[in-house]
Amino acid sequence: MIQSIRDGAAYAAEQGWLSESFSYGFLINALLAALILGPILGGLGTLVIAKRLAFFSEAVGHGALTGIALGILLGEPVQSPLIGLFTFCMVFALLLHFVRSRTQVPYDTLVGVFLALALAVGAAMLTFVARKVNVHILENVLFGSILTVTDQDLWLLLISCVVILACLLPTFNRILLSSISPDIAKVRGVPATFFDYLFVIMITLITIAAVKMIGAVLVGALLLIPGATARLFTPNMSSFVRWSAVLATVSCLLGTWLPMELKLPVPSGAAIIMVSATFFLIACLYQIIFKERRRAV
Amino acid sequence: MMNIKITGPQIQLQNVCLSYGEHDAQILGPITHTLAAGQCHVVMGPNGGGKTSLLRSMLGLTPFTGRIHLDWPNGRGRVAYVPQKASFEPSLPLTVMDFMLLNQSQTPLFWRRKAKTITRIKDQLAVLGMVEKAERKMGRLSGGEQQRVLFAQALLDAPDLIMLDEPANGMDEQGISLIEFLIKELVTKGASVVAVHHDLNAIKRIAHQVHVINKTLVTSGSVDQVLPKAQPTDFVSLCQLSQHQSNHQIRAMA
Repeated sequence: MIQSIRDGAAYAAEQGWLSESFSYGFLINALLAALILGPILGGLGTLVIAKRLAFFSEAVGHGALTGIALGILLGEPVQSPLIGLFTFCMVFALLLHFVRSRTQVPYDTLVGVFLALALAVGAAMLTFVARKVNVHILENVLFGSILTVTDQDLWLLLISCVVILACLLPTFNRILLSSISPDIAKVRGVPATFFDYLFVIMITLITIAAVKMIGAVLVGALLLIPGATARLFTPNMSSFVRWSAVLATVSCLLGTWLPMELKLPVPSGAAIIMVSATFFLIACLYQIIFKERRRAV
Repeated sequence: MMNIKITGPQIQLQNVCLSYGEHDAQILGPITHTLAAGQCHVVMGPNGGGKTSLLRSMLGLTPFTGRIHLDWPNGRGRVAYVPQKASFEPSLPLTVMDFMLLNQSQTPLFWRRKAKTITRIKDQLAVLGMVEKAERKMGRLSGGEQQRVLFAQALLDAPDLIMLDEPANGMDEQGISLIEFLIKELVTKGASVVAVHHDLNAIKRIAHQVHVINKTLVTSGSVDQVLPKAQPTDFVSLCQLSQHQSNHQIRAMA
């Protein structure tokens, strides 16, 4: 199926209906990955904002550095050290959340400590990784690269996103209610603690799934920026989630395609975040002008 | 007289104690007491006396020692809770309708909404005078308006037991009258109501039983027994009484 999409795009490029860049198979793979990732990142991002977990998703992304180093040191392939990445990120996220629920330490302080620790351990491990492989290869994993998305990655991404969607759709309201009003949620029989952990697992899973495209370091930003943008101009939760998903998807698509089209040597993750941040700045500007006008009237 | 079918539970407290903090300082108890089914019970007392903690313990929101048993007449019924206040972030685009839907439906907010659910929510909001503000953001409402919405969500499921933590907080006269009317209506339908309240006049209007809490149960009884002609200035003295003092002394004070 993926091959036929690639063939179709190549044919369209040949006929001049699409730009020449669409004849490259790896770009089509990356665009397909963007189409799968975007809506999930945008949708989950609204909950990240409502639950005020922006810093948390950032920490999980940074924790990926250690996970990658660990995977490579344990003999996994340099391009996709998935087991090390998955295991470390999951343990890291669950441990952080567990400590949060059992101590009185303010959440931002706790995330700060965990984030610094993960980076420190990751940096220390990179010294050993450098003896095994060229460290520059790691840049692909840290900042994303469209060259590395294989067919197998796409299927893995699709399965991960279907799993996340299957968990998210029936629980979205209850996760939101338990973050907005935990007491009312508990009285209504919502297992708030279970949903907290479920959400942490979903965030970790999407972080891992997005590593190849957006990069471990920048994926947290894409969970945050489209939601933060949508929040500036949407009047209710329904449009908030929809716009966040649309903005995340468009950012992923443009961030993947533009550097290729303009022949810019920019990692896909960086380009995606820059496009996303541009939308945010435009929305901020719109709000400032709109508010100024309203004040003037 | 109308025959009321009681659907709310009797609440039995046995040696209920609450401790907080590293040194397990006891903030409440031991309390052994029974709240009769199908009545409006008002818990009153000074700030820091443990009223809210007791209410939260009854709901299972705060850990305690001892035993709290809800004795339902016809199997477990529906429980609702109106917290003292809820903090809604003003910048989050969560409207009144969104908040009500969160409490009523498991269909994700961004999915297609069922007309039947919307109608039901609007009817409930209309009762609380909030239907015209259904599309307003929760974080932009005044304290009294938020309280009305919190009350509306509690009434959505026609509860058999409702716990209210200072329900009149920040409300105007009209809102207070409305809440009192709705509380009375719930009781006439057989529900049990437990409310933390400060206003002596309001307590006299709505309560069947009054329970004075100040670290422990100071006194308990009908409004006439606990608050006979009591003036607001008597409130502090009432709360300062020890558990050993008899109702006779309380009546003498009033």
